Amino acid sequence: MAKKTIITAAVTGAWPKKENNPNVPLTPAEIAEDVYKCWQAGAAVAHLHMRDDAGNGTMDKNKFAETLRLLKTNHPDCDIVLNLTTSGDLYATEETRQIHLKELRPEMGSYDCGSMNWMHSGLFINSPAFLTELGNNMQEWGVKPEIECFDPGMIANAAYYLKKGVLKGPLYFQMCMGCANGIPGSVKNLLFMKETMDTLCPGSNWSAFGVGHSAMEILYAAVALGGNVRVGMEDNVMYSKGVLAESNAQFVERAARVIREFGNEVATPDEAREIIGLKK
Amino acid sequence: MSWGPCFFYYHCPQCGKRFKYATDLIADLGPRFGLCPECGAEGVLEKEGARTPDDLQYEEIEE
Repeated sequence: MAKKTIITAAVTGAWPKKENNPNVPLTPAEIAEDVYKCWQAGAAVAHLHMRDDAGNGTMDKNKFAETLRLLKTNHPDCDIVLNLTTSGDLYATEETRQIHLKELRPEMGSYDCGSMNWMHSGLFINSPAFLTELGNNMQEWGVKPEIECFDPGMIANAAYYLKKGVLKGPLYFQMCMGCANGIPGSVKNLLFMKETMDTLCPGSNWSAFGVGHSAMEILYAAVALGGNVRVGMEDNVMYSKGVLAESNAQFVERAARVIREFGNEVATPDEAREIIGLKK
Repeated sequence: MSWGPCFFYYHCPQCGKRFKYATDLIADLGPRFGLCPECGAEGVLEKEGARTPDDLQYEEIEE
């Protein structure tokens, strides 16, 4: 039986705006429609960020709720796994970074496993106290953490929280490659991230994405190394060098082609639930 | 949360060409990082950021 590969669609993020690519979805209605189109194209997981009315990243729980309501109301056939960010605004409080998980109970939420500088200009803070509280809360609320790692030290941090019981295995990692202040995007570095994960958190599952020039390199490498993939305009507004993406679904369609050409099958949402270890 | 690539945006003091390099290539490219792809001159750093609005006016250099 062919291996199943999960495609996660990260459709919005907190950064790109219409001036970067007019096809970036920003409103709850736009995001919900994009998620549906990505699901139709083969995405099993949707990683969601929200924007305020000015287009800036926000952790406004009402925006999350409205997006989920629109998706459910307008597309009741869509069974995509919802993965809500906990890091959609660098200035959000620790409370607003998690209250939407408590109230909306998505199947997954992001868990950024350490602090780092942000774009050489700011701070992306995930303090020990916050990660401990968030990990415990996610267990209580039945929300599976997606462990986002921007460098190998964050994988070691995940191993620490796993040992402490703040995180519960099997873990699901998202290797974030090529972001400023994180590990550069290359096959060599992705292999090192995977080997670090295998050593420190054996039995874990993983996905990866690369921003910018490393997007395709990491996509192909993740499939070849037995991982899963994430695509979308959160990470890349360019479809290829000098060419703006037409839609998020365009990225998903390409990832699905790569997976099938490799000899794998694109995982359905229910297959993704099994791989990641979700309880529907 | 990701934020796309971070670029250094340059222009060439000799031929005027506009180009950009993703900062995660600093280690790989070493002294070649920041050179004009046309004439090899050291580029003049104008700004840095993630996909500025005039991003498409700068050719992305990867090697």
